[in-house]
Amino acid sequence: MITLGIDIGSLTAKAVLYDGKQVMEKHLIPVGYNSKKAGVKLMEELLQKAGVDQTDIGKIVSTGYGRNSIDFAHKAVTEIICHGKGIHHQMPHIRTIIDIGGQDSKVIVLDKRGNVANFIMNDKCAAGTGRFLDVMARAMETEIHEFGLLSLQSENPSKISSVCTVFAESEIISLVAKGENREDITSGIHLSIARRIASMVKRLGMIPPVAMSGGVALNVGLVDALQKILDTKIETTPFSQYSGALGAALLAQEL
Amino acid sequence: MQKTAILTRFREVANAPYAYLRKLKSTTGKQMIGSTCAFTPEEFILAAGAHPFRIFGESESLSGADAHIQAYGCSMVRGMLEDGLSGKLDFADGVVFPHACDSIQRLSDIWRLNIKSLHFDVLLPVKLDTPTAKNYFVKVLQRFGKDIEKALGVHITDNALKEAVILMNNLRRRLKRLYTLQSEKPGVISGSDLAAIVKAAMVMDKQEAVTWLDELLVLLENEQGSQEKVKRILISGSVCSHPDIHQMIEDKGGVVVWDDLCSGTRYFEGIVDEEKPLVEAIAGRFTQRYVCPAKHLGVSFQMENLKKLVSTHKVDGVLFMILKFCEPFSFDYPDIKEELENMEIPFLLVEMDRHNEVDEQMRTRIDTMLEIL
Repeated sequence: MITLGIDIGSLTAKAVLYDGKQVMEKHLIPVGYNSKKAGVKLMEELLQKAGVDQTDIGKIVSTGYGRNSIDFAHKAVTEIICHGKGIHHQMPHIRTIIDIGGQDSKVIVLDKRGNVANFIMNDKCAAGTGRFLDVMARAMETEIHEFGLLSLQSENPSKISSVCTVFAESEIISLVAKGENREDITSGIHLSIARRIASMVKRLGMIPPVAMSGGVALNVGLVDALQKILDTKIETTPFSQYSGALGAALLAQEL
Repeated sequence: MQKTAILTRFREVANAPYAYLRKLKSTTGKQMIGSTCAFTPEEFILAAGAHPFRIFGESESLSGADAHIQAYGCSMVRGMLEDGLSGKLDFADGVVFPHACDSIQRLSDIWRLNIKSLHFDVLLPVKLDTPTAKNYFVKVLQRFGKDIEKALGVHITDNALKEAVILMNNLRRRLKRLYTLQSEKPGVISGSDLAAIVKAAMVMDKQEAVTWLDELLVLLENEQGSQEKVKRILISGSVCSHPDIHQMIEDKGGVVVWDDLCSGTRYFEGIVDEEKPLVEAIAGRFTQRYVCPAKHLGVSFQMENLKKLVSTHKVDGVLFMILKFCEPFSFDYPDIKEELENMEIPFLLVEMDRHNEVDEQMRTRIDTMLEIL
């Protein structure tokens, strides 16, 4: 059976088409202001890309913040369960998942069978989210995809003490004024967000091996900073942004 | 009367408690005495011929209260203060402040300085599990009785106090029966209706509440619960009064079969022994039942109480709904968390900014917990 998983996040909408054995096609678009419209557009473009007709799809599962707005889905499941499922499918040995999204961050612990055993979520504060990185990259006048690479070039990371996005931005401007170099400030930014995530991981109780999912897993600087602070290897997959949508498509196979 | 008609009446009171109270005052002429905590000995207020009601903190914006209490103070206390400052409680003749936690003590001071009404402090003992605490509690209640008599210009007779004890016991027994029915036949009533009934009972004329509950119970005794297998949830925490929480849980196949909330069972748990000397018996109820983590009842009391609730009500998962900055709960939580993990009981902690607000992130958390179960 062909199934569709749709993950409507706060910034991007992702979809994965799965044929029961492997991923047939994937697609990503910005959400914009209307998650329902984004869901329809996402599905239409994905089906066109894959050359599949909508009538060929057996079941659809939606996930993410906009999951309940997708009225053509057969079931809505939270992104925590879907990321767990998606990561377990790609890397069955993983027990702890760090998922940093556009407007929240989550730590998920899986049991030995890959089911979600426990989770913790930060959604009240931009610090420790993808939004924090966006704001900082802009302050450092770099593109978001170069931001992580820049941080890896630092030998002496700057100290960023503020955990608040707004105040951290002004702290960074004063570091720039002091003449600290971009690489060091950027590395300091990554370490500050990693410390924030690490405190969540410790509160929940980390069980290795650890993986990162979500779009921010593509940031090599943050993965490196988290590895240093948690003192453990962090595994990633090039498919990380689609892990939630993949999990949804896999859950649709079980309907 | 039809079930829906009775439920609608309760909901009307719960949705607009202060409107109900204004009307009650104009029709009965009774003095209205608000309470800020479940430790208020309402029997004395009833015996004095006045009407006791719970202040909920109904205001949406807290801009007035923010001038007096910092934003990282308890939002329940800030909400109650806002109700007072904004004039929502202008029908109230007086307010009772049981000194349960630090925040309510400070609220009492701010209230006295800023809002004109009769003012009653109930200086509770910190520990409740010692013999001296019980003796002290009796004296506190005697003092409260005298304060009420003086302020309202009445004499509280033994007969009136006894009648009040019997009336409150009647109300408590009925509310408990209603909860027990939900535990025995989950889904026999919707969670949001149940929450609305307890809230209404805290506001309403007590005899009227008893009468309405009798009408409802007769109908529910003969009804069936949900035909499908439900996930049995226990809500533990401070105050949670948003009906959407129950809807979220029920949308995912769960039913709240019990709670230990200040806005739930803590209002009616414990019966005053009608055979004993009255004041001692009222004190006995407060010192023996589970009340609030702000009061000490022994190191393991709270944990043992939670375990008992989990086994009695065959709970599948515990949902902790805790008001942000509620220190007594926050200090207890790490130990409770560890114990529940050892017992392999699934649980989830949700921190609420306000007791009457829910958001989509909260839904994601609660949905996930129910999907895991």
